[in-house]
Amino acid sequence: MFEARLQQGALLKKVVEAIKDLIEDANFDCNNSGFSLQAMDSSHVSLVALSLRADGFEHYRCDRNVSMGMKLANLSKILKCAGNDDAITMKSEDNGDTITFMFESQNQERLSEFDLKLMDIDSEHLGIPEAEYDATVKLPASEFQRIVKDLASIGDTVEISVTKDAVKFGTTGDIGSAQIMCRQNKSVDKPEESTEIDINEPVALTFALRYLNSFAKATPLSSHVMLKLSKELPIVVEYYIENTGRLGFYLAPKVEEEEMAD
Amino acid sequence: MGIQGLTKLLGDSAPGCMKEQKFENYFGRKIAVDASMHIYSFLVVVGRVGDQVLTSESGEVTSHLSGMFFRTVRMLEAGMKPVFVFEGKPPELKSAELAKRGARRQDATAELEAAKEAGNAEDVEKYSKRTVRVTREHNEECKRLLRLMGVPVIDAPSEAEAQCAQLCKDGLVYSISTEDMDSLTFGTPKLIRHLMAPASQKQPAMEFDYQLALKELGLTPDQFVDLCILCGCDYAPKISGIGPGRALQLITKHGSIERVLEELGNGGKYQVPEDFPYQEARRLFKEPEVLKGEQVQQLKWSAPDTDGLVQFLVHEKTFAEDRVRKAIDRIHAAKGKASQGRLESFFGPAKIVSSTTGKRKEPEKAAKGGKAGGKASGAKKGKLGAMGKGGKK
Repeated sequence: MFEARLQQGALLKKVVEAIKDLIEDANFDCNNSGFSLQAMDSSHVSLVALSLRADGFEHYRCDRNVSMGMKLANLSKILKCAGNDDAITMKSEDNGDTITFMFESQNQERLSEFDLKLMDIDSEHLGIPEAEYDATVKLPASEFQRIVKDLASIGDTVEISVTKDAVKFGTTGDIGSAQIMCRQNKSVDKPEESTEIDINEPVALTFALRYLNSFAKATPLSSHVMLKLSKELPIVVEYYIENTGRLGFYLAPKVEEEEMAD
Repeated sequence: MGIQGLTKLLGDSAPGCMKEQKFENYFGRKIAVDASMHIYSFLVVVGRVGDQVLTSESGEVTSHLSGMFFRTVRMLEAGMKPVFVFEGKPPELKSAELAKRGARRQDATAELEAAKEAGNAEDVEKYSKRTVRVTREHNEECKRLLRLMGVPVIDAPSEAEAQCAQLCKDGLVYSISTEDMDSLTFGTPKLIRHLMAPASQKQPAMEFDYQLALKELGLTPDQFVDLCILCGCDYAPKISGIGPGRALQLITKHGSIERVLEELGNGGKYQVPEDFPYQEARRLFKEPEVLKGEQVQQLKWSAPDTDGLVQFLVHEKTFAEDRVRKAIDRIHAAKGKASQGRLESFFGPAKIVSSTTGKRKEPEKAAKGGKAGGKASGAKKGKLGAMGKGGKK
């Protein structure tokens, strides 16, 4: 039996909204320690890793490890029926083939129940090594969202380069080019606007903006986003969900093309 | 022709080896294309109306060039790196099959004349499609076109499918593109169908995985070859009455064609043809005449030769210049698409994890793209109009 109750149901709604355009279906893995998901988009360029800790739920019970296959579009349809202030409880019997979502309004006057049919799917898991990154940038999430949106109107790819005291985003397209620089700013009075850079080595990598824009849909989850970069490795775009867990996105960089004889 | 009924058999008995894949997801992948098979299909379908196909002003057929050019542009535009493999000398064992095809073509030519006389447009198209033959000329023109497009071309010593399979086995390409299921019998690790389908059909590619196919069928590579021969291949006649399903049963039960023949010999209901060169066919599938490893030239892709292409397609073959130039621009614009990395190349191959609960999705009917079940949907709906009907009478 699996049962978990989130007082802030909106959190689950936001998570699903953030990932449903990237991946079609996924296995939600539940065990003692929490609720997690790992899935790649169909081209294997990006990966979503979600983990919600058991102690982040008001109530959490998982007797047996289960992997529940769901189509994100269907899950989204159901969660859209939950109010923003509703508490959400998820329930599934062992060996059952459905998961139940219960929505309770704040004043307890409205109680709704939705059953979603589970699917048996094969998902592809990657073993992601724990690594130290060359550079870690902490930006206001809304700032990052704005940057990737603005740059996408100019070009298809962005070069992210991090130095000791600034992070730069640059792109070039048919109509021209653009550069956006954010300086380190450890503002004490307004912590929500701070930009922090932690660097071992300067690093510059190029990524497809299309995916970064998709990741930025997670902006409502967190005040800040962490960008973790290492030379010739995928970038990690990470949103910490207060007291509950994290939603991370991995994106493979553009690589040098094998020489094309012109 | 390929292996009769193999796609359906895999769909029924080894659905896990087939996977739909978006066309766009093959960016950066090197793909061996069975050119000869595709040229044939272009001649059959591209721009065809009745018995008329695309021609230049001077009346030369250009369907093959049009198909080859625009479909290859589509692959390049998506960032794929195709390499085209052309057929060499057919193996001797195929001569019976080829003679049969020749005869069928002749019959079709006669039927075509009759249909024209009778003015039956449908039959004219049907029979004229059957008279299509790929000539040396067609092949040479396509090679010239591909070289101008900066795409590598390989001349196979014998069967193109076998050569494609070998390129894939040697790791020189990621997969091969063909509609001919023979390649799986030749042991290609991966095969993609519908990759060269026109964009307008919006047909997703279908990827077949050889190892998964063997695993799900529960056969060894040798048994798989035997299964294909029993299903009916180009090298040996079929045993009449044995279809793919029955062939799989027999091989699973007895393990090899020898043992199957012994069993059938014992007064069974099947007539084994007198001339059934299964051993020779088996050898052709297992040790085909191909270029291996270092015998293959280095595969190089280069930017398209715009002037050369305009000269060839526009001036010699009277293609519309703006369409050709636009297409070439699309190739140039796609530069950089191939440079997107994939996560596996950083984190290693993915591990398959299955759900512990829930129902397995029914494998989609892969054999035919048509949608079933559309008819029934209206039946249950009650109509308000039905209430009024009685009154009007």
